Amino acid sequence: MNFQVYNRELDVGNIRISGVASSSLVLVGDTEVIQLASIFDTPAESLIIGPFVPLNPQG
Amino acid sequence: MLNKRTSYVNHITIDSLATTSTFEIGDSTAIHAFSRAIAIQREQELFFSNEANFDDFEIFKREIPLDPITEELTYESSPINSFIKVNRIDIIGVSTSSILHIGSSNNVFLEARVKHIRQLNGRK
Repeated sequence: MNFQVYNRELDVGNIRISGVASSSLVLVGDTEVIQLASIFDTPAESLIIGPFVPLNPQG
Repeated sequence: MLNKRTSYVNHITIDSLATTSTFEIGDSTAIHAFSRAIAIQREQELFFSNEANFDDFEIFKREIPLDPITEELTYESSPINSFIKVNRIDIIGVSTSSILHIGSSNNVFLEARVKHIRQLNGRK
């Protein structure tokens, strides 16, 4: 694949962002490679109903 | 370096920039951001100090498959206008190994791992 880019005018007025979190990037500029990876885990057993006890107290 | 443009920002307001995050003005070549969190939501305000360990959960060890790009790629950019202009940026919060980057970069790799746990008190 041949990727030909003609960079003409790029002029943004206002950007309003409430939060940038968890290894995120707000880039005003050029780049060649961006690789993003995220993994989150909420299995059934992570919903615990019952008395509040610490998960597994350490030391 | 491919012909990279110059970024112009007139006005930036950031309310909070957390300890592990970055506000970069200028170019960079490589960025590697990594964050991991154990998020426990309890129905009651109850905080134990030393409660969980990243090693207890397999999610923080698991390999995230990132297939290499095998396609033959030729990239040409012709800078007719070599400026990126933004008048104003307002950001309330930048946190958890995040980056606000004004300028160009080459190689960016960002990874986030979150384990969610919810604790509800048993209905009477």
